[in-house]
Amino acid sequence: PAVPCVSDGLPKPTNITFLSINMKNVLQWNPPEDLHGAEVTYTVQYFIYGQKKWLSTSGCRNISRTYCDLSAETSDYEHQYYAKVKAIWETNCSKWAETGRFYPFSETQIGPPQVALTTGENSISIVLTAPEKWKRHPKDNPVSMQQIYSNLKYNVSVYNNKSKKMWSQCVTNNTVVLTWLEPNTLYCVHVESFVPGHPRLALPSQKQCVSTWEDQTSALK
Amino acid sequence: SLRRCLISVDMRLIEKSFHEIKRALQNKDTFQNVTILSTLQSLKTIKPIDVCCVTKNLLTFYKDRVFKDHQELSPQILRNISNIANSFLYMQRALQQCQGQRWCQCSQEAINATRIVHDNYNQLEVRSAALKSLGELDIFLAWIDKNHQETSA
Amino acid sequence: PDGVVVLPAPQNLSIQSANMKHLLTWSPVIMPGETVFYSVEYQGEYESLYTSHIWIPSSWCSPTKGPECDVTDDITATVPYNLRVRATLGSQTSAWSTLEHPFNRNSTVLTPPRMEVTKDGLHLVIELEDLGPHFEFLVVYWREEPGAKEHVKVMTGGLPVHLETMEPGAMYCVKAEALVKAIGKHSAFNQAECVEVQGESLPL
Repeated sequence: PAVPCVSDGLPKPTNITFLSINMKNVLQWNPPEDLHGAEVTYTVQYFIYGQKKWLSTSGCRNISRTYCDLSAETSDYEHQYYAKVKAIWETNCSKWAETGRFYPFSETQIGPPQVALTTGENSISIVLTAPEKWKRHPKDNPVSMQQIYSNLKYNVSVYNNKSKKMWSQCVTNNTVVLTWLEPNTLYCVHVESFVPGHPRLALPSQKQCVSTWEDQTSALK
Repeated sequence: SLRRCLISVDMRLIEKSFHEIKRALQNKDTFQNVTILSTLQSLKTIKPIDVCCVTKNLLTFYKDRVFKDHQELSPQILRNISNIANSFLYMQRALQQCQGQRWCQCSQEAINATRIVHDNYNQLEVRSAALKSLGELDIFLAWIDKNHQETSA
Repeated sequence: PDGVVVLPAPQNLSIQSANMKHLLTWSPVIMPGETVFYSVEYQGEYESLYTSHIWIPSSWCSPTKGPECDVTDDITATVPYNLRVRATLGSQTSAWSTLEHPFNRNSTVLTPPRMEVTKDGLHLVIELEDLGPHFEFLVVYWREEPGAKEHVKVMTGGLPVHLETMEPGAMYCVKAEALVKAIGKHSAFNQAECVEVQGESLPL
């Protein structure tokens, strides 16, 4: 059992929020102010909205890091949650610092799809793999975010490095073939997933650049 | 699907309105161990046939009880609640016109689901109940979004 | 009471609405040498039906100096809204003047959208003006040839969007109309624009 500490002996941790991407829900916070050098540890609890009591999580008791992965505890994304953390240093501890109500279904950010580009003489085919929901175990069957959000779409942005022009396409299927491109030209592509509706931060994929092949006729000359 | 009934309802802007006042409303709700719309979370299996009736009943619940019982001093919150209230008024009419005579038949399960909401509401003092119901609008909006896409008429 | 000037209420309230931007105007209250302020309040149909005592201060004009107020951020549902204005001068306030007829945003005038049609090599690209969150655009495009088949896409504005991969030697034309689902209306189509692609057309 935890050694009782003098409550309110320390300032509270600050900026306690959930960082949620594809239902990987990580609680994070800033250390209490003005405790430089002190060996502060933290204890986290969480609460399922509508239920009766705060619950502890074994992985985040007396930890020194300032984050705690609560993905397993908050995996039912249609429920809502609170979390709280307190700082402990020797026999002193702070009051609890608490999050607002966290609703994974409407707050999680949708990660970008995986993007695979293959080029042809004047074509690029873009194959998109939907982002995956957080998994408890690596061996668990993958669940695509598309299964949770049936109206998930992709915004494909293409930049022609020669003409310096950019254009985009909104697609729902997983393959886009850009044909009749200019040969021997560098094209850069990045893709965002989005769900029409809840205001969410967009997380674009890494920009990838590929060059179309040289014009075969001029290559033969 | 019922989505065509609500095609002219811009859910994004209603969700945006709620998003702007969510923190303020939910932080004032101190009864974390009680929910009003718990039925929506637990009754994830509301059958497509019941979606119209539950939608109509919950729009009425918000229109006739929640928005009336809530008293708000902050102009900014008042504006956003007004937007949601007037959007629900429009949504109910759009649903009613679209359904015509077949205006949302209600099965016993749909009636029970609605009664649980009213019972939950009645358990609390009226101002607290209204505040909690407003703070749970994200549950209702998510449920509308989800259920008005996959249902068949 | 004798000698005390009663501040007159603003007159001639009217509302102009185009492309979902709604501007309330009124005749200024003239008090020589003084600056008169105005306060605007509104009430949606919900308030007038169920909480008629509630009037909501406008987002941008409580108070304001000008004899006009952009109420776009207040009129946010497709139901009738009551609007009222009063004048204030120091400690004096006038009576309220209320817009004669409630305003519903479904009466807004939708104008044909401005668009820019360009090509990037053989790719037909369109950019439509960004008219705000309510707007989508129905874009119709076709290859200029006998018996041309029209293609339709719905998109949002503000970004260049890929329409079609064109064939060399052909002309492609595009026109668009603005759509606002929230009020179930659309504008007229704008003037079609065509682009031609150099090079011989492809062997059949």
